[in-house]
Amino acid sequence: MNNEQFNDRNVSENGYYLVDIQDYPTTGWDKFTRVVRRTLRGELFVGLWVVLREMIRFDIHTVKYPEEKMPIGPRYRAVHEMKRLWESDAERCIGCGLCEKICISNCIRMDTKIDANSRKEVTEYSINLGRCIFCGYCAEVCPELAITHGGEYENASDQREHFILYEDMLTPLDKMKAGTQLEFEGFGAITPHEDERVKKTPLAY
Amino acid sequence: MENKISFTIDGTPVEATHGESILQVARKNGIYIPTMCYISKTTPCASCRMCVVEAEGVEGFVLSCNTPPTPGIEIRTNSQELELERTNIMKLYDVNHPLECGVCDKSGECDLQNKTLEFNIATQNFSAREQARKIEDWGLINYDPSLCIMCEKCVHVCNEVIGDDAIEVKFGGYKSTIIPKDADTLDCTFCGECIAVCPVGALVSSDFKYSANAWELSRVPATCAHCSAGCPLEYETRHTGINGEESIYRVKNDFEYTSLCGAGRFGFDFDVQAEKNEMTLQKAVNAIKHAEAIRFSSLITNEEAHILSLIKEKYGVKLFNEDARKYQAFMKAYSSVSGKLHHSATLDAVKQSDALIVVGSRVSTDNPGLRYALTSAAKHNGAKIVYAHPMEDALMQNTITQFMKYEVGTEEGVIALLAATLLKDADLSDAEKAFFDDLDFGYLDAETNIGEEELSQMMRAFKRTQKHTFVVGADILSHPKAENIAKLAAMIEKYSDFALLVVPSEVNTLGVSLLCELDEDKSDAKCVGYNADGDFIISSYIKGADLIVPALNQQEGTFVSIDNRVLPTNVALGFNGYTLNDIASSLGITKENTIEYTKELSPQAGFRAIAFDDLENFVSPMGEDVRGYLLDEVLCEADGNLDTISELPEYNGVVIYHSNPVLQFNSYTNKAKQLEKDRSLRGSAQFAAAARITDGDLIEISFGERKIQRVFSLDNALKGTVALNPTFDDTFDASRYRYEKSKIMRVVHE
Repeated sequence: MNNEQFNDRNVSENGYYLVDIQDYPTTGWDKFTRVVRRTLRGELFVGLWVVLREMIRFDIHTVKYPEEKMPIGPRYRAVHEMKRLWESDAERCIGCGLCEKICISNCIRMDTKIDANSRKEVTEYSINLGRCIFCGYCAEVCPELAITHGGEYENASDQREHFILYEDMLTPLDKMKAGTQLEFEGFGAITPHEDERVKKTPLAY
Repeated sequence: MENKISFTIDGTPVEATHGESILQVARKNGIYIPTMCYISKTTPCASCRMCVVEAEGVEGFVLSCNTPPTPGIEIRTNSQELELERTNIMKLYDVNHPLECGVCDKSGECDLQNKTLEFNIATQNFSAREQARKIEDWGLINYDPSLCIMCEKCVHVCNEVIGDDAIEVKFGGYKSTIIPKDADTLDCTFCGECIAVCPVGALVSSDFKYSANAWELSRVPATCAHCSAGCPLEYETRHTGINGEESIYRVKNDFEYTSLCGAGRFGFDFDVQAEKNEMTLQKAVNAIKHAEAIRFSSLITNEEAHILSLIKEKYGVKLFNEDARKYQAFMKAYSSVSGKLHHSATLDAVKQSDALIVVGSRVSTDNPGLRYALTSAAKHNGAKIVYAHPMEDALMQNTITQFMKYEVGTEEGVIALLAATLLKDADLSDAEKAFFDDLDFGYLDAETNIGEEELSQMMRAFKRTQKHTFVVGADILSHPKAENIAKLAAMIEKYSDFALLVVPSEVNTLGVSLLCELDEDKSDAKCVGYNADGDFIISSYIKGADLIVPALNQQEGTFVSIDNRVLPTNVALGFNGYTLNDIASSLGITKENTIEYTKELSPQAGFRAIAFDDLENFVSPMGEDVRGYLLDEVLCEADGNLDTISELPEYNGVVIYHSNPVLQFNSYTNKAKQLEKDRSLRGSAQFAAAARITDGDLIEISFGERKIQRVFSLDNALKGTVALNPTFDDTFDASRYRYEKSKIMRVVHE
């Protein structure tokens, strides 16, 4: 990428021009005339009329939160979700601990152990949403696309510490069975055409 | 300095001493040669072939790890061909290596990962049919063959340094694996050294597996609190669970040069916790004020020993510690002949020796550090090791060259015979000559059961050896004639080229013996116990102690190891209760922190006035031990005279020997979750027949004034009529000789 155009600060040649700004009034009389001029211009009534007109028409554009909610973009970074594998419905999280490591506000903590099948199992996992700054590093670093951000932004709580646990974040099985688990499309997620970029390992024996 | 070989590496002129390889010289001069299988403390495995270099005038590549340089040769460590060769090796290492770095216990501390990134291997160009390989569960150790890269470090360490020789390579090309030697499952002393040296996650601790990542653990450099070898280790701590207290997750060691036994590696969870309670502290203070004596064990730091001395000074209480008192008496007798305070050898000297005599120690369980040093000497210097003991030791069988079996109790005669043999041509004083002339060799031979033939065999073996070390074990410290034995040992050190090593029985027996003036234990005295029995008990491990103090992994302070080295240890886990220093402060001996006493430790015993925080605690990248400092030598008067040997005691009938099973040492190891706790009396079939008991019998053993109940277990590795009685569960009285004539009764169940 070329940064030259941004580095060129020569104002005069790039179509920039200075805005004509009047001098501030200094004397009392000048100030008075400016107030009178601005007041009697009638702009205020233009705005008042628009509001009155729409009120009479009942054409209201505001969202009636919390009854109504705006749709959230798929890349919005709100409260975390833990995804399951499409193939087996098993949990994606392998307990590698990278999210805990990378978390810059130190709000993730987890504990793992070896399970009956000699696999690493996450036994405890919590995120302190009171500390989380929703930077998205955890989702970005996750090698399994297991922890992602979701659209749930309502996490008001009556105390500053507010923990969310693994079970709360995990996609429920019924949702999984219904095939409605949503993939996060934000930073760290698989990009379109990822298949074409995968380097294959020669296993054709 | 003769024997220097000058040559160049990458144009830099370097010098090698005789016996050094090109790789060693390169490392010493800061020249990087990549390796995968090289480990400094063993002979080169030469399995990775990464360390190839080019030598001027030599066709092909040269393995720098096992090739000594010739004078004037020009070595190149970098060229395109070498780079290609190494990259290809790395590519082969990566073939089908499971991509489970995310869960692997190495969690980034992985040599394979580092080198893969270093050589920029992003794809796999070779293929091989992957095989189904089972993860092996070997008890404390887990082995995952699919992660194994067959560097063979584990095999070399197990064989050459530890001496267990428990694992071997099963050769089969791509199918090669590591297997237990001559057994279905791993049967070894579980030192875990194979885990430490494994560059990948193939060999892991089964307890630690998948419980934490390396980067989460804080490392606390410390000194092992289990035996007198004073091995360096690092406690790795982390919070437990997501909300819990700190705890130790594992222990690691600097495996490149030092080794650690299983007790150090797996026996780390002996910490205690207590709260502060003014009332209890006051009770402890009052108890000390009104006590006649403080009885304490040697599981304490030098600073604590010093505080106890200060309490003695101020309040006139007596100090009881039979274990250290015996050692003190032994060393005092030694000094009276040698004219100096400290024995001359160290474990490092043992490692370098090529002729060794070990008397009176069941080395493999008394002091694994010494065992590893002996193994190293045997494997790397071809050392001739004479091992004199009343019991065969199966674990030392492959290490020693001559086993001298003597009768229980005749140590004085044994050392006299050895001294007479070694000092045959020495320049002795008239009195000393007279002592040896007076010896009744016929009687000694007969009583000790050591024949002239054995001694001359030893002398033949020692011919043309250069570095000699004489090791005196803990059996002798508590021998009734210990003082005379000490004088004889001192004679050997003084008049022959043998250096002397005395093995202290506990972690800090040596430190305590140097710092405290000890009194003879009178069991009827009103007594405060500090980590020992008493009317008021202050302890970190005794159940039902009146006041709990921090364990040795929760304290900072120093120990004195077998090497006469003052070693610092640090706080791995916090402790909320009181320490001995708090008690002392309430007694008017005030210092804010225990470690402020470090620089006040007695210079008369060789301690230096160095503050605790100025003590280093690491082994340098070139293997130089810079932990703490060595005690200064202190000269004293040599006015001791040898007593004539009158009669050697006889131990007939049922004899038990206080000796722990492997990995067990003391009350701390007894608490460790991972360590096996075999509390049974172990004896041979011959012993069982003599005592009229069978395997699995519940028996009552009476010796001295004590009676203990144990289960008898038949151990086929043992021979003879002496059985092993473990002491880690606190049944040992250090004032008594380690062998006991005892009565064994079968306990009949109603």
